[in-house]
Amino acid sequence: MLNDVTFGQFYPAKSVVHRLDPRIKLLSLIAIIVLLFVANNFYSLALCAVVIFSAIIASRVPFKSVLRSVKAIIFILIFTAILNIFFHRGEHVFFEYGVIHITLEGIIFTVFLICRLFFLVMASSVLTLTTTPVALTDGIESLLKPLTLIRFPVHVLALIMSIALRFIPTLIDETNRIISAQKARGADFESGNIFKRIAAIVPILIPLLISAFRRADELGDAMDARCYTDSKKRTKYKKLKFGLRDLFTFFIFAAFIAGVVLFNIYCYDICPQIYEYIKVY
Amino acid sequence: MSQDFIIECENVKFSYAGSQAYALNGVSLKVRRGEFLSVIGHNGSGKSTFARLLNGLLEADEGKITVLGLDVSDSKNVVEIRKHVGIVFQNPDNQMVASIVEDDIAFGPENIGVEREEIGRRIDWALKAVGMEKYRESTPTRLSGGQKQRIAVAGVLAIKPDVLILDESTAMLDPKGRREVIEVVKRLNKEEGMTIILITHFMEEALLADRAIVMNRGEIAIEGTPEEIFESGEILETYNLSLPRISILSQKLRGAGMRIDNVLQTEKLSSQIVKNMQNKGIYGGQSSKPDKIAINENDEWDIDVKDLVFTYSKKSPFATKALNGINLHISEGEFFGIIGHTGSGKSTLVQHFNALIKLPQAEKKYKAKKPKKGQLNPVISSISVGQFDLGNKKCDWRALRSQVGMVFQYPEYQLFAESVFADVAFGLKNFKKDISAEELEQAVRESIEVVGLDYNEIKDKSPFDLSGGQKRRVAIAGVIVTKPHILILDEPAAGLDPKGKNEIMELLHKLHREWCKTVIIVSHDMDEVAENCTKAAVISNGSVFACDAPYKIFARSSELNALGLDVPLTSKIAAQLEQQGYIIESDCTISDFADKVIEVYSGGKTNAQ
Repeated sequence: MLNDVTFGQFYPAKSVVHRLDPRIKLLSLIAIIVLLFVANNFYSLALCAVVIFSAIIASRVPFKSVLRSVKAIIFILIFTAILNIFFHRGEHVFFEYGVIHITLEGIIFTVFLICRLFFLVMASSVLTLTTTPVALTDGIESLLKPLTLIRFPVHVLALIMSIALRFIPTLIDETNRIISAQKARGADFESGNIFKRIAAIVPILIPLLISAFRRADELGDAMDARCYTDSKKRTKYKKLKFGLRDLFTFFIFAAFIAGVVLFNIYCYDICPQIYEYIKVY
Repeated sequence: MSQDFIIECENVKFSYAGSQAYALNGVSLKVRRGEFLSVIGHNGSGKSTFARLLNGLLEADEGKITVLGLDVSDSKNVVEIRKHVGIVFQNPDNQMVASIVEDDIAFGPENIGVEREEIGRRIDWALKAVGMEKYRESTPTRLSGGQKQRIAVAGVLAIKPDVLILDESTAMLDPKGRREVIEVVKRLNKEEGMTIILITHFMEEALLADRAIVMNRGEIAIEGTPEEIFESGEILETYNLSLPRISILSQKLRGAGMRIDNVLQTEKLSSQIVKNMQNKGIYGGQSSKPDKIAINENDEWDIDVKDLVFTYSKKSPFATKALNGINLHISEGEFFGIIGHTGSGKSTLVQHFNALIKLPQAEKKYKAKKPKKGQLNPVISSISVGQFDLGNKKCDWRALRSQVGMVFQYPEYQLFAESVFADVAFGLKNFKKDISAEELEQAVRESIEVVGLDYNEIKDKSPFDLSGGQKRRVAIAGVIVTKPHILILDEPAAGLDPKGKNEIMELLHKLHREWCKTVIIVSHDMDEVAENCTKAAVISNGSVFACDAPYKIFARSSELNALGLDVPLTSKIAAQLEQQGYIIESDCTISDFADKVIEVYSGGKTNAQ
C-alpha cells in the first residue's frame, strides 16, 4: 500500500525504480554523486544525464515533480552562475570591465557546473520520490550493518529512525490541531514583527513539547511491556531482498562507472577537432 | 501451588513517589487461567496502577504478586513475566514503533529473539486474530482508532502471552472502534482460551466478563458477576460510577410497578416489558407523541451552509474529499448535535464555522476563474454566520472568532500558560488588545466560576498541576471568556469516565442557558446526542444524511446501522417493542421513554378496568 505514506516527497507509482531494493538505490545515488564530481568533460556529463533521465522515465514520476525539487535550489544555481560567468578567467575574452570579464572558458565552465548541480538534485529527488522513508531507513540500517563489528549500535539507531518516522505524521497532526485551537482563541501568527511572531509561537510550542514528552513516556511503557531490552539476542524480521532487477541495476551502474572513467581518460581522442571548444577548465 | 491461578496477588500496596496516599491499598486477588475479568473504577481509583504492577512496569511497596508462580518483584523474572502478561494501553498512537503494520507487530517477537520464519507466522496469526489481515503493509497513521488499537492488540498477541490486559484500551475510541476491539477480546477469550483482564470505566463493557471487580480508592470495593455488581445499585454511585443506562431505565420502570429483573441486554428488557403488558391484558398500544421543543424564534445568529465542498491536500496525489456538498441550517438557540463516525468530515465541517478553514473565495490569493466554454458555472460554497459572510475576503475574522468559540477535542492538551489566569485570559487579550486590567479580571473570574471552579483557589495555580477534569474545565473557560454567541465543542466528553461525562454535559446545559445562545457539539455517542440535543445532523461520507430532531433521526435505525452508526438504547428497545405492537414515541431520552412506556402500561390498566 504505497499511497499510505503521506509525508516526505514520496510519489506513489508502480514502476521498476519504485520496486528496486533501497540499498541499490542508495548506492546508485552515491555512485552518481561521485561520478558527477569526477566527470571532467561533457561526454561524461552527458552519460550521467542519460542515466538520470532514463531513471526518471523508468520511475513514471511526472517530470514536473522532479523539477519541483530543483526549484528549491534555483537561487543557488543563479548565484553560482552569475559568479562564474563574470569572474572566471580564460583566454578567449568577450567582454571586460574592471574585475568583471566574460570569457568562453567561463561560459563553458558555468554551463558545466550548473548541469552538475542540476543533475545532482534531480538524482537525489528520484531516490526520495520513489522510495518511502521507511524503505530508506531499512536500506540505511542494512548498509550500516557491518558497523556492528566495531560495536556501533546499529539496531538502536534504526529503532530511533523508525520511531522518528512513525511520529512525524502524528506530531504534524498535533501541531496543526494546536495551531487551530490557538487561532480560534484569537492568536495571530501571521502579522507583527519578528519578535512578535516568535512570541506567538510559545502557545504552540509548550503544548507540543508537553505532548511529545507524554507520548514518549507512554511509548516507553508500551515498549517495556513488549519486552524491549538492550539484549543482544534480538532478531530481525524484515529482510531486504536483493532480486534480479537489483542485480541488473548493479551491472548498469558498473557499466556506467566504467563509461565515465573511460570518457574521462579518452575525452580528447573522441573528437579532437571540437575538443578545444568544449574543454572544461 | 495450584496451577489454576495464573496471577495471585496478596495484600499489594503501592504509592507513587512523593505521594502520601496509597494508590493501591491492600489488594488481594486471584485470577484463574482462561478467565475474563473486568476491573471497573473511576479515574484515579487505582485500576491502571494495578495493571502496571502485574507485569513489573511498577514495583509494589508491600505484598506479593506472582505470575505463573514467578515472583514479579524479582528483577530476573521481569522479561519472562512480560512474555506471559501483555498490556494494551489507552492511546493506540503512543504504542507503535514502526510505520508499517507488520514491522510494528514484529517488534515484540524480535525483542525476545524469535526466529524470522516464526515471526512471519505469528504476524499472520495475530493479524487474523484481530481481523486485520488486509492491512499488513499499511501505515498505522492512516487507520481508524479502532483499527489502530486492534493493531496494538496484535502487537502484544505476537509475543504469545497467556494473559492480555487492556488498560482502558477503549476509552479513546468511538463506539464502532470500541465494538471492534471488544469483539476481538471476546473471541480471544472464547476461542484461544486467553485470560483477559479488561480495565474500563464503561459499564456496558464490564458486563461481558465472567467476573468483575469494582475498585475505589485503591481497594477492591465489590467483587462478583456483572449482574451481582449492578444489583448493588446506588452504592455504585458512591464509588463515582454510574449505572449502565439500561439499569437506569429498568429502575424507572420498576418504580412504576412493573416487574423487571436486573437484565443487561436490550432484548431481555423488551421481552420483559412485553410480558408485563400482556400480564395486564394489554396487547398493543400507542403512546402520546413527544413534546415539541420550543426554541426562541430569534434568528440573528443562525448558521447557514450551502453546497460546502472541501478537499484535503488538493492537487497532490493524496487528495481526499472530506466534504461533498453540505447544506445545513443551524438556528440560534439550538443545542445542536453533529453526528458521524471518525473520518466522516464532521470536524472539518465545524472548522469552517469560525473560518479556521476558509472558503476558497475568501483567501487573499483567490481569483474567480471564468468557466470554459460548454461548462457550467462551478458551484460556489457559501457560509454565513449571523451577520458574517464567510465567503467575503473582507470579513472580520477576529470578530467572527470572538463570537464563535471553538473547543477542540481534548482541549486540556492545548493549555500552555504559567497560571490558570493567564491561560484563560489569553483569548480575551488577543481579541481585545486594549482591555483594562479590571475588566479582564472580571471576565476571567466569571468564566472560571461558570465552569464550576473556585476562582481564588485556582487562578494562580499552574494548569498542569490540575486534575484531568479540572484541566478540561479551564480549557473551556479559556474559550467562553469572550462570551461567544455560538459555542462549538468537538467531542467534549471524550476520554472521561461516565461521571465526568455527565458533569461536562450538565456544564454545557448551564452554558446554553446562561452564557451562549447556541451550543453545537460534535459527537459519535448517540446516547449523548439523544439525551442532550434539541436538533441533530448526521454527517456521512462528507454529506448530510439527515438533519432533524434526534428522535426523528433515530427512528431511521436501519438506515443508520447501514452507515455503521449506532442508535440510542431507547430507540433499540422502541423498535423491539414496536414489533410486538407497542408503539412508543418518545424524544429518545431515558426519562421520557420510561414515562411513555408507563403511560401505555397504565393506560392499559384503565382500559382493563
